[in-house]
Amino acid sequence: STRERIKAIRDLPMSFQEKKHIRLFRTNITGEFVYKIIIHLRTLVVLKSTPRDYMPWVSYSVSLQFLRRCGYSIRSIRQTLELWQGIMKEIGGKFGTSVLTYFLFLKWLLMFNIFSFLVNFGFITIPLLVYDISPNIPPNVGFGGLEILTGAVSGYFNYTAMYYGGYSNETLVDLVEYNMQLAYFFTIAIYMVLCGIALITSMANSFKTNYMLADQVSNSAWQLLCSWDFNIINERAVRQRKNNLSVQLKVNFVQYKPFQFENILFDHIGIHLGSWLLSTGMAVGCAHQQPFLCPLSLQNTTDASNWSLLQEAETLLVPFVVSSMNLVVPLFYSLFNKFEQYSSQRRQIYTLLLRNVLLKMFILGVLCYYWMKVVPQKFSCWESMVGQALYRLVIFDFFFLMLGSFFGEFLSNMIGTKFLPRLGVPEFDVARNVLELIYAQTLVWIGIYFSPLLPAIQIVKLFVLFFIKKVSLTHNCQPPRRTGRAAQMQTIFIALLFFPFFVGALSIVAYTAWRLTPSQQCGPFRGLNNTFSVVGIWIDGMEDNPGSKGAIWIYDNVIKSEIAYFLGTLIILIIIYIFWQVSQGRKHLIGRLRQLIANEGKDKSFLLEKLQNLQKSCRHKKQKQKNRNKVHFYRTIC
Amino acid sequence: MGNKQTIFTDEQLDAYQVILTKPIVVFVGFFSPSRLHGRYHELAPHLVPMDYTKDPDCKLPLALIVNMPELKENPFRNRIVESFSEDGMGNLSFNEFVDMFSVLSEMAPRELKAIYAFKIYDFNVDNYLCKEDLEKTLNKLTKEELTPEEVQLVCEKAIEEADLDGDNKLSFADFENMISRAPDFLSTFHIRI
Repeated sequence: STRERIKAIRDLPMSFQEKKHIRLFRTNITGEFVYKIIIHLRTLVVLKSTPRDYMPWVSYSVSLQFLRRCGYSIRSIRQTLELWQGIMKEIGGKFGTSVLTYFLFLKWLLMFNIFSFLVNFGFITIPLLVYDISPNIPPNVGFGGLEILTGAVSGYFNYTAMYYGGYSNETLVDLVEYNMQLAYFFTIAIYMVLCGIALITSMANSFKTNYMLADQVSNSAWQLLCSWDFNIINERAVRQRKNNLSVQLKVNFVQYKPFQFENILFDHIGIHLGSWLLSTGMAVGCAHQQPFLCPLSLQNTTDASNWSLLQEAETLLVPFVVSSMNLVVPLFYSLFNKFEQYSSQRRQIYTLLLRNVLLKMFILGVLCYYWMKVVPQKFSCWESMVGQALYRLVIFDFFFLMLGSFFGEFLSNMIGTKFLPRLGVPEFDVARNVLELIYAQTLVWIGIYFSPLLPAIQIVKLFVLFFIKKVSLTHNCQPPRRTGRAAQMQTIFIALLFFPFFVGALSIVAYTAWRLTPSQQCGPFRGLNNTFSVVGIWIDGMEDNPGSKGAIWIYDNVIKSEIAYFLGTLIILIIIYIFWQVSQGRKHLIGRLRQLIANEGKDKSFLLEKLQNLQKSCRHKKQKQKNRNKVHFYRTIC
Repeated sequence: MGNKQTIFTDEQLDAYQVILTKPIVVFVGFFSPSRLHGRYHELAPHLVPMDYTKDPDCKLPLALIVNMPELKENPFRNRIVESFSEDGMGNLSFNEFVDMFSVLSEMAPRELKAIYAFKIYDFNVDNYLCKEDLEKTLNKLTKEELTPEEVQLVCEKAIEEADLDGDNKLSFADFENMISRAPDFLSTFHIRI
């Protein structure tokens, strides 16, 4: 295909001039064979032909060229709109690639949210707004004081398109029949599935390039030599990097390493100490939440519109506590990390990550348990309540992230430079910041079902966060001292985003859709047993339609039956096993080939030696022969 | 760069686009030839013509290119420019300039980057990375921080780790093998323009 050919030419290690000629030549004859010859022989004879010889090709593909040129100009425009390109370059230039991964990750998450917002707004909100512009707000409800923060438990927001409760369950008949129930369900389901697919493919790609080929030895001399970051263009950063590299080289290879007996002991004590503190921290966190959540549960179950200001303010307590825990406890973990000694830097980072992930999962787990088990019983329009709770969490998380920038970086900088110079200027803690981003994104993913327009807030939040972090970084932080491992960290972050967090959010939404009864009085699924039954109703409705026999059959026998899932899982497991064995075999092959190369080298040097010896002895013999001839000659003469 | 328009023939534009484009990926842009040419032009405005339809033969010397902000602080700047120039002395025509930045961009495949990285580290251009090449590389990376004995030690260790066939120097195959084990290589061997 054209694309493959173009890619193949692009990959040739030849100069541009030569490639230009290749393109015009090759497409006249069947592709693969010819360019392989060019690679092997590197003949320039063929390449020196002029474009004029191939005019027929040029005229034939004028239309193709025109189409391609249109595509290129579109992409040109896209490139000028490329978001934050200049800022990324500046950050990469001063701080290197590993810090840049945080900002790239943020940009990637922003894309998810933009897509989600567009899809939700387009398919769910716009039909509602078009059909019924004024939301049916009951009388004497105004836009109160704490609305923005609390997500309006009793106010204006509650009845708008912001939350689940504001959506109608009818089939809107305007120009076309638009079934709101199906739209709501399928939009969210398809969005989650697409997210999952995007995450899985990124994770797999990242894993393939960054992990499979990586060696376990992370401190080899070779890696240090080849790890120069070409992105860095700031003079001071370059000097600092050179310093760091020489220190690393000295520490790893030149200095004598004392026997590390005490380090191992300290390691264990540190880990135990850390884990104890970790578990007590989590237990305290969880125990604290329930008493604060109880006041909410004591409220009147049916009428949530008469809450006083004080009661509304009480609802702010939970997000406040949660967010402050999220801010403070990881700082403690980083502090413990500084005191603990680890045998390798990799283990240090992994331990820190694990503790933070466990903390966040625990917090989210308790909150979700409360939302799934307790709230549906206590409130009438419970989905909106959950949506509001999530909204509050997102807003408070935003404020606390900004505070975190202040405490984490600005204050550290002040302390490090003025009060305790021993600590020095702080480094940008990529792992902690990325985890905060992942946590924020998980909140949005859980909240999409309950509050479809939550991604809009996340978009604003990520936007502002980008600039805050950038300013904080440039003013308060220094480039990282130990380089490398940016690619592996990126793989880990994507994997973390997928595995506990996205899968968890997906399971919460799936559990809500499958098991929980939607509220009777509000929302698009009122009156149904569970959300998933909209699909059942739709399929039943399709029975009158003659052309949909196939869809009905699929629904009854594949989606509803358990045997299909069982068989599918079995087949997938078998395929995984086969691929795994193939990759094991390939690993063995690689080991054997390496051995072969080493043996070839030994053979080569052996043969060279033998050749040299032979040559020496040959010369020796010739010399002897010559001498004998001379003597013989003299003898005959004399 | 604002109001002047670079003139290329349609065919040349097409050719540039073939080399430089890639299917759209989420966060990668690509450069248009006029933007790159703008950068090339501003290095020496009186030498570089705006009209490229007659394929002018114009080369910029090493000293000018090495002063670009993207290359100025790079310890390997001279070697980078030399490996992409046809005459080996660092004089780049516009095509070679495009070559250089496209290999150093995000889109270039790993094999291509490995080939040029090898050329860059090969100071004496003998198609092998011998101990002297590695020593020069290390000196460029650390300046005066390491003593000569330390430099020797590190280079010996590096060759020991990477050399597969035991000839005490690294061929391209050895280099590529080591690069495949360094997952960061793709992201660090990258200059944004």
